[in-house]
Amino acid sequence: MASVANGLYGESEIRKFRRMTVIWGATVLLLLPILALLGYFMRWVQAGAFTQLRPEWFYAVLTLHSLGMVGTWFVGSMAGVSYLLLRYTRPSLAVSRLSYWGTLVGVLLLIVCTLGGLFGTGWYFLYPLPLMSQHVWQPWATFTFFLALAILGVCWTIWTLDILRAIARHYSLSAALGWNYILGREGPEVPPLVLITTVSLIVGVAGFVAAVLVIALFAARALGVNVDPLLMKNLTFFFGHVLVNITMYLGVATVYELLPSYAGRPWKINRVVALAWGAVLFLILFAYFHHLYMDFAQPAWIQKFGQICSYGLAVPAGVVSIFGTLALVYAARMRWTLASTLLFLGIMGWGVGGIAAVIDSTVEVNFHFHNTLWVPAHFHTYYLMGVVLIILGLIDHVGKEISGLEERAARSKLTVALLLIGGYGFLSMFYWAGAHSVPRRYAIYPLEVSQGTLYARIAVGFITVLLLGILLYLWETGKRCLKALAA
Amino acid sequence: MIQMHAFYVFLGVAGFLVAMFLYTAWSTRHAKDIDYHSAYALRRKLLLLVAAVLVLGLAMTLAKTPYPRDQDVPSQVVFVVGKQFSFGISASPITNEDEYLAATYSTPVQVTAGSLVEFRVTSFDVNHGFSVYSPSNRLIAQTQAMPGYVNRLRIRFREPGRYHVLCLELCGSGHHRMRGVFDVK
Repeated sequence: MASVANGLYGESEIRKFRRMTVIWGATVLLLLPILALLGYFMRWVQAGAFTQLRPEWFYAVLTLHSLGMVGTWFVGSMAGVSYLLLRYTRPSLAVSRLSYWGTLVGVLLLIVCTLGGLFGTGWYFLYPLPLMSQHVWQPWATFTFFLALAILGVCWTIWTLDILRAIARHYSLSAALGWNYILGREGPEVPPLVLITTVSLIVGVAGFVAAVLVIALFAARALGVNVDPLLMKNLTFFFGHVLVNITMYLGVATVYELLPSYAGRPWKINRVVALAWGAVLFLILFAYFHHLYMDFAQPAWIQKFGQICSYGLAVPAGVVSIFGTLALVYAARMRWTLASTLLFLGIMGWGVGGIAAVIDSTVEVNFHFHNTLWVPAHFHTYYLMGVVLIILGLIDHVGKEISGLEERAARSKLTVALLLIGGYGFLSMFYWAGAHSVPRRYAIYPLEVSQGTLYARIAVGFITVLLLGILLYLWETGKRCLKALAA
Repeated sequence: MIQMHAFYVFLGVAGFLVAMFLYTAWSTRHAKDIDYHSAYALRRKLLLLVAAVLVLGLAMTLAKTPYPRDQDVPSQVVFVVGKQFSFGISASPITNEDEYLAATYSTPVQVTAGSLVEFRVTSFDVNHGFSVYSPSNRLIAQTQAMPGYVNRLRIRFREPGRYHVLCLELCGSGHHRMRGVFDVK
């Protein structure tokens, strides 16, 4: 790797870092089918199976599935970016290990409080629901949940700060943010990976600060202090919005870094790219208001500003990166492999989900879509068919790079076909149901929206296809990862 | 119906994007060098086009937000309280537990079709989603029921009939069975 030549790392350190990356990748691959099965289970419940099941189980599984998926892909993208950054700088291996063990402990505690304690508030634990369970979950489950969040938050914040530190050792802040390109000044060449990671992680720190405030305010409430529910909602959605978005941006950063090697063309920063990601740094801080459109107590000008920022965010991050991907691949001597195909399709899925998200970020539309299945439709699109495909592509790339095991073209094509048919088929039922007013987060559909049961049954069929695709991917890429671990 | 309009807009734009990706992937069968200056010029045009579409979208939609305006005076006020796991809906204010129970179990409130109705929505416990479904089971309006705040949702009903209210904010294990009802005459 270039980092060895640059003298940033010794050969043995590089080996250790590679091994740590493969461990992260293997863990992500282990969690993926488990968490996907939880989602499969929920659609089965909504399809009318398991009629004897208490709905508390549905909401507990919902909480574990959503938090688990968001966390898994965040750490997956962080591990991937850390590995790719070795070409330019030197993140700490010890911090990566600390994050790994902290993540394992946090996940274990989440499993205990949800499946063991039926804690079922959804990923967003909207204040004051965790404290008002109607005796479904006990105070110990609430405590365990917040303990898990605190451990994950601390570890991920340290990891985020460490990567920023590593970047800062080799690039000044203005260089890392691409200001030289914007101002037309001479300066060091900055890879897009460094620019996007810097922007994402600065925003990430702000998100983690909001999460700390939420946990602290919950603790204050437990001690009898009055807490403003609207403030809590703002902080919670700011944190959630930031975490999900930076995960996607880190995924996009890996595409900027890896896809050129498959296309045989460079993908460099220029003024437009630097300006685009600079705009993201500002706009993302305010786009989260679209989560609170239905809180009419929030001043109307804030809501409108939220729509403007949400629309604005689509142009720099989305259009520039999507156009860049298309221009990179167009008529290129492309080396199509499982990894490059997934990276390419991941950007497409990110774009498709982004379109649905922009539509939903229109206040007038959100008035009819808020908390219907349109919402999981769009975020599953840019997650499942976006960042997940990108990270699966990245893991396959790394596994192949280290193990040297080549892929079988026919199996790769079948994997991609199953993922696309199963994934978009499953999502189509979310979109259709959302357009027909079916609510999200319902264990059982009441009479008014009973059509949701039929859509869930159709979705179950597509998820089965999707799971077959995931299993085939795991079989093929898993072999490469196992060999890479042994290397 | 706005939901289906949004759905078809999504299908159209997303379909175009997917077609672009497929075309690009197909183009790699016949590799050639590209002119970067032309690509940058195309990007500039595309950015301007997308920005223009989004500005047009903002211009068309920002004036149509559902938030109450001071110049509109509602002809009827309905009071709503959400509480795990039911909505109390009443023509008179609900200020305590007894009034909430009375509102929950009394005859459904009636409002008049064509007149502007204001729902003053709050919660006695956690966040709920006060979401109004028409007699044909379409979600026509919603706001959050939030502890400590009153959200004012104004609706001018066109279609008489029985309207159901579902909760669209996860509020606990009975979330899916939380409901309310009122009539439009």
